[in-house]
Formats: sequence, C-alpha cells, structure tokens
Amino acid sequence: MYFCSMERRFDPVEGKNAEIIETVMNCPEVVNLPEDVKFKVRLCVEEIEENILDYSGTTWVDVHVNAATDELKITFKDGGMEFDPLKRQDPDINAPLEQRQIGGLGIYLCKEMMDSVSYRYENGSNILTMVKKIK
Amino acid sequence: MNVEIRKENAKTFVKLTGRLDTTNADQFQKDIAPLMEEAKPDYEIDCTDMEYTSSQGLRLFLMLQKSVSSKGGSMVMTNMRPQVKEVFDITGFSNIIRIL
Repeated sequence: MYFCSMERRFDPVEGKNAEIIETVMNCPEVVNLPEDVKFKVRLCVEEIEENILDYSGTTWVDVHVNAATDELKITFKDGGMEFDPLKRQDPDINAPLEQRQIGGLGIYLCKEMMDSVSYRYENGSNILTMVKKIK
Repeated sequence: MNVEIRKENAKTFVKLTGRLDTTNADQFQKDIAPLMEEAKPDYEIDCTDMEYTSSQGLRLFLMLQKSVSSKGGSMVMTNMRPQVKEVFDITGFSNIIRIL
C-alpha cells in the first residue's frame, strides 16, 4: 500500500529544474534512503524533468512522490502535447566514439536505473511513472 | 561544479569538484572551453570529488573526448566514484573514454 509523501504543482514550470529536484530529494521518504539509491532517484528525476521541458511544451508539471514499505513511486504529470519518451529508440551504447550521439541517453539511464518506468496519456495529460524498489 | 585546470609541462591536470547537472552544465561548458582549444591535448581529469553527473554532463565529456581524439591527443579520467562510474558504464561511455 502506498501513502503520499509529496504532491506538488510547479506552475509555471520554466526555470524550476533545481527546485523540482530538491523538492523530491527533500521528501522524508527519500532523505533517508541509502546514498546509491538517492543518486539514482536524483538522476532519474533530473532526466525526466529535462525531457518534459524539452519536448512537451507544457507550462506546468505535477510531481507526486508515493512511498510504500518496499518501493518508491514518482509520478510526473504535464499538460503538454502527447509525447511518449519511452517509445524513443534506445541509443547504441556500443557505437564507436565518432558515431556516438547524445540523444536518448537520459531516458535510457532511467530505464536502466529504475525498476520500472511507464507512460500513459490520460485526459489531455502526459503521465510518466517510475518505480524504484528500496528493499 | 568547480573546475580547476593546472598545466605542468605538456600535461594538463583537471580537477572536478561537486555535482554536474542541468543547472550548471552551461557554466561547465564555458569552464572547459580552454581544453577544446589545445593543439596537442594531454589531459588527466581527477574525478575524486565529482559527486554526480547526469546526461547533461555526459554530453560535454563526449564533446571533449571527440575534440581530444580528433587531434590525436590523450585524455584519462581517474578515481571516479562508483555511482558516477555506473553512469559511464550503463551508457557505454566507459568504452569510449579511458577511465583509470
């Protein structure tokens, strides 16, 4: 069973990158996690939020942090145009230096570092949820 | 993120301290701009105190490595913390950037 740890709307969202990251990192359920888990949470929040700001054209973002005894769930909801970042092709991580591209690395890192990342479009909003097991 | 650049003979030592993320990637790009200008780059980048990098930082390390390689230079990143190293490993950056 989940309980809500934090629920907040960032409106306008522009220029709030640092504030969103720190708000999540300061949630009581996040503050006390092991350092390696916190590192991953910080990175994935930053990557998802960057992606939303780059692609969706939204003016606001809702961020929810829900905690259960064994996992942490973070949900981002925005009112921008429909965009599923998970559909993007994974980068070729074996490509030689000359052919390496930077695009898609952030979402790829999230997929690898979280236990699950899912997307849905509902009532005019993009909703992206990521889950990290914490025990 | 604090960047210290120190030149000793032909070799350049760079020390990175702090977190490299979306809030300071632009500044970091300016800080490392001199490294893109070097004709014969030979860089040792001390990562002992680099606490964090996101894909924003990876983008700039890739840019730097491409610049160094295109001039036949050398670049090595040393003493990377395990969590930072994991970011380089997952993305395959450990295969294209020398990490000691």
